[in-house]
Amino acid sequence: MEAMRIDDTNSVEQEKFLETAVKTVKAEAFEMKRSLDKSKRMDALKHASIMLAELRTGLLTPKYYYRLYIDVVNELNHLESFLLDELEKEKKEESIAELYEHVQYAGTIIPRMYLMITVGVVYMKLMPQMRAELLNDLVEMSRGVQHPLRGLFLRHYLLQVTKSLLPDAAEGVEPAIPGSGTVRDTIDFIKLNFSEMNKLWVRQQHQGPSKEREKRERERMELRILVGTNLVRLSQLEHLTQEVYEKEVLPSILEQVVSCRDPISQEYLMECVIQVFADEFHLATLNEFLASCKELAQEVHIKNVLIALIDRLSLYVSNAVGSNIREEIQLFEIFSAQAEGLIQSRSDMPIEDIVSLHTALVSLAVKCYGEKLAYANTVFLSLANNLKDKQVEGIDMYSHAGKELIRVLRVPVDEYKDVLRVALLTDYPRAMLPLNYRGRCTASAFILQNLIDNETGLKSTDDIDAVCSLIECLLSDQPDQPEDAHDSEEFADELNLIASMIHLIKAEDRDVQFLLLNGLRKRLGAGGKWRIRKTLPPIIFSIYELALNYQQSDGDENWDMKVRKMFVCAMGTIGALITTGEMTQLPLNLYLEGAIVANRIKFSENAMVVYEFISKALSVLEDEIADSRERLSALALVTNSVLKVDCLASENWEPLVGQIILAGSKMFKKADQVRTLCSAASLYWKGKVAESEGELRNGNKVTEILKKSAKVAAQCMEPLVQQQLFVHLLNQYYYFYEDGCTVISPDVLSELISRTRDAAIQLEPSREADDIDQHLQHTLQHIRNTKDKYPELAEKLQI
Amino acid sequence: MSSAATQRLTSKRQTLDEAYAPPANFLEIEVVNPITHGVGKMRYTDYEIRMRTNLPVFKQKESNVRRRYSDFEWLRGELERDSKIVVPSLPGKSLKRQLPFRSDDGIFEEEFIENRRKGLEQFINKVAGHPLAQNERSLHIFLQETTIDRNYVPGKIRSA
Repeated sequence: MEAMRIDDTNSVEQEKFLETAVKTVKAEAFEMKRSLDKSKRMDALKHASIMLAELRTGLLTPKYYYRLYIDVVNELNHLESFLLDELEKEKKEESIAELYEHVQYAGTIIPRMYLMITVGVVYMKLMPQMRAELLNDLVEMSRGVQHPLRGLFLRHYLLQVTKSLLPDAAEGVEPAIPGSGTVRDTIDFIKLNFSEMNKLWVRQQHQGPSKEREKRERERMELRILVGTNLVRLSQLEHLTQEVYEKEVLPSILEQVVSCRDPISQEYLMECVIQVFADEFHLATLNEFLASCKELAQEVHIKNVLIALIDRLSLYVSNAVGSNIREEIQLFEIFSAQAEGLIQSRSDMPIEDIVSLHTALVSLAVKCYGEKLAYANTVFLSLANNLKDKQVEGIDMYSHAGKELIRVLRVPVDEYKDVLRVALLTDYPRAMLPLNYRGRCTASAFILQNLIDNETGLKSTDDIDAVCSLIECLLSDQPDQPEDAHDSEEFADELNLIASMIHLIKAEDRDVQFLLLNGLRKRLGAGGKWRIRKTLPPIIFSIYELALNYQQSDGDENWDMKVRKMFVCAMGTIGALITTGEMTQLPLNLYLEGAIVANRIKFSENAMVVYEFISKALSVLEDEIADSRERLSALALVTNSVLKVDCLASENWEPLVGQIILAGSKMFKKADQVRTLCSAASLYWKGKVAESEGELRNGNKVTEILKKSAKVAAQCMEPLVQQQLFVHLLNQYYYFYEDGCTVISPDVLSELISRTRDAAIQLEPSREADDIDQHLQHTLQHIRNTKDKYPELAEKLQI
Repeated sequence: MSSAATQRLTSKRQTLDEAYAPPANFLEIEVVNPITHGVGKMRYTDYEIRMRTNLPVFKQKESNVRRRYSDFEWLRGELERDSKIVVPSLPGKSLKRQLPFRSDDGIFEEEFIENRRKGLEQFINKVAGHPLAQNERSLHIFLQETTIDRNYVPGKIRSA
């Protein structure tokens, strides 16, 4: 708060200072132009001089000084073009020389230098043969201003207005106009201007009290571009050859950078060099540049410099143009040695910086040397070792270091788009270890996601092992895993990814496919209660799918044994879901699904397998399912499954059905007993056994069971429920009657109808009673509709 | 190119070390942290004088002492007597504020102390920045000795 208030009052004050200065600039500029129009050149220069004196102010901060400077430069541009016009018309050599001489008499240095530059530019434009000499004179004379802020802006003005005048003719060849200079003159001019500006910029840190150091550093950062413009100019020279850059320009830049010992300047200028000069130049001077990096101040974030260079060159080299350069220059070796040296020499380097250096190296290795996996692997090894040396562990993925670590781990995954290739980087998993549990899981999850997105098929045990080595933390409980890890959304998402991965197992051979599924089952089986609940079911489904593909023996003499083994495997896996996974419904469904699948495959032991699976399902029902609603639906499922199988011999079929009936009659609620018995009755009608063709159609058994359920229904005390059950029974009876069950006599039906009709009248009116009555009416209507088919019944019922 | 009046002179080029060397005449004095001690007639305020310099004439490159207004008066008197410089004046004594029966705290009002602090800071920077004052023993005692020995032997300090 306090700081802000001070800043605000400062800016109010600054605005006021600026306003006063700008007012003078405007007034004097106006007078200057008036004098120019009246051809009073000397008066004009006098006003320009007063205007320029405003730039001598010590009151403005760099930001506000810049605004004043812009206004002044605008007016100087006007002066320049006016003078150029006038003097061009006069065509007199002496007048421009005189003018240049004249402005040197200005009383104070700031107006004098600005005017010299402005007039000097006119001079150079009128007389190109004077260019080299004048440039040199101006850059030398500017030394007169040693105040950092004023000097920097003055020299920036010099750079700006001479931009189009800098000689750029090839060196060693006499230029068309003698004296107009070559690229050599420009290089000398900028070199001097650059070193002077850097000196002023560095010196700025000593201006003012030391408690305002931070503020000054901010201000210096705002001014850095002024210094950098020198390097930009150099890089724009057409005739700056690689040789001159290598032998002279870069060494002299680096000399200034290293000697100034100022971290702000060093870091900016090194990055600036990387930014502005051509890739070829960098490649040619790599060693010199990197050697200078080592000499920079400890406070310089050298990793930024190195990363900028690596990124720039890897982009260049990975493009086709630079492809043979890869062989010529051992870029990777050079950079990895540099990075390692840097990390060793700076023991206080933050973890995130160490990691981000490696990120740049991995990018270089992966993008430029894709075929050399050993390169990328070395980087991960060195990263792992460096982090181990620093004894960092449990890194949070949202910390700076954690984010950076996740980033480096992503590089090969995203670049290769092939997880199996990533897995060849044997030291990659070690670089994951410093992350905490959640971080490692996140890394594993994006690896799996990549596998799924790219539909990378897993074809061998090696493939599976490879993937598993990358997702270790998702497969089993980890020592640093929080107690409630399984409660998180991420945990569930990650298990879904594993489930999707299972569908990527696509061996070319069915036997291998089973081997893979079984192998993975063993790994996943060790995942503990929470994991196996989600990971084992897809394994079981995959096994069923595989078994169905195994319909024929295709001459394989071990076929029977192999198919049987699959079901044994599936059964064991379902067992794990019950015992370890503490599940009931899903295993029951999986047993029944297995029975139906086995029934469809004609291997020699399919009947045995079907029996086993259904009986296991019934055991689950008996032992594990207590809730009556769940029991009811489970029993319905078992009944339906038994209806679908046809390979069981009666000796096996009977006990299963007997068990279903027993379970039905043991239901807690009478109503449930009636319903389950009714559906069990259909087993004796629609069910099939191995010995006989077609459905059983055992009418005696059907009526026996229906009678038994009628007895139970009669015991029901609630009139509403009882009526409901009897209407249900009537429907059942009539269904079997219609289907040709001759054991059912019209008497039974007529008795049921009259019973339900009588009961209907006695029911107290209610919504439920209405519904039941409607059901009854529909049933009766149906019987009436079909009366023609059953004359005996029609007569009995008198309809 | 130019006439005799504007003739260019050749000057000695700066070396890199010279160009980038920190200034050789660094001197910074802050007057901060005013504390009021004692009660009644014994009540007074003193200030922390923090000095940092790289001038060779000063024995310590960094020093911290506490001084009260009367100490400044002493220094001013010594310099007036011994040095040749025109010694700047101190912020006013404000005798009016020291009269009894005031509704406020007189010379111990926060605002007054702050204004005085600024004045003293200005004074000591002006004095210590002057080359002719820099070798007065009294200035060195004032800036760098924990207590002022008013019976010292006045004299000059020769630069090391």
